[in-house]
Amino acid sequence: MNLYKYSSPTNFYPLAGKLIPWFAIPSAILFAVGLYVGFFVAPTDFQQGDAYRIMFIHVPAAWMGMFLYVLMAFYAGIGWAFNARLSSMMASSIAITGAMFTFLSLVTGAFWGKPTWGTWWVWDARMTSTLILLFLYIGFISLQASIDDPRKADRAGAVLALVGVINVPIIYFSVQWWNTLHQGATIRILGKPSIAAPMLAAMLIILAACWLYSVAVVLIRVRCIILEREQNARLAEVAI
Amino acid sequence: MRSFSDFISMGGYGFYIWGSYLFALIAIAAELVGLSRRKKALQEELKPVNLLRGRVTNETTT
Repeated sequence: MNLYKYSSPTNFYPLAGKLIPWFAIPSAILFAVGLYVGFFVAPTDFQQGDAYRIMFIHVPAAWMGMFLYVLMAFYAGIGWAFNARLSSMMASSIAITGAMFTFLSLVTGAFWGKPTWGTWWVWDARMTSTLILLFLYIGFISLQASIDDPRKADRAGAVLALVGVINVPIIYFSVQWWNTLHQGATIRILGKPSIAAPMLAAMLIILAACWLYSVAVVLIRVRCIILEREQNARLAEVAI
Repeated sequence: MRSFSDFISMGGYGFYIWGSYLFALIAIAAELVGLSRRKKALQEELKPVNLLRGRVTNETTT
């Protein structure tokens, strides 16, 4: 099987269609399992009471917001450097889901901040840099929407996306670099996480659900983008 | 297992917790509704093209 053939939007379209249920269905199941573990298995926290249960959606949303940004910039960069149309289409498709998760992390963060810190919002380094991430997504989406030629829109978007990548490590390390109100990382790459096993399990299951959801939604949207962009070519073909 | 009313009140944090999850539901639903509208609009737009080509399917672009 020649995998390179799937770098063509026309060949990728039916493949993407076949892949969607393989991500969508497990995503729905994992959301249900994760919420069950989060609300019925995980114990009440001795410090924060039940308020910490917001974490199960807040942390995965924030991670997805950052991860999808890097992925979007990667695809946009590949699309720009190698003139790969499908990569650029993937970047455009990821942007909306990434923006949704970033917005969700800000809103759920506000819902968590109010009862624990006594405020919905502070201009804390982590929160401000996350807000900038949301603006970068919105900037990318509106920049692309404002340029009629899709390939020019892809290039302009790629420049913005790649420059904006610098913001992602800033968000990630903000809790170490600055004295923030936002708490430090609970999950570390090295060393033991500082939370109970069912709490961690619920969060990781919902993270997996969010990841599968993102793949499914991005594939559905990229199929729309392929049709939208290729329809001019199709019309021309029919006219001949 | 706690009682239903305890579960809803979440030790006094009910508003914040359910607010977060309700918002998450709205955000995801909004994305899915938007996407399905985009898909439907596209299918409408492409109908004449498919008819011209003698196909009604919208499964492939080939």
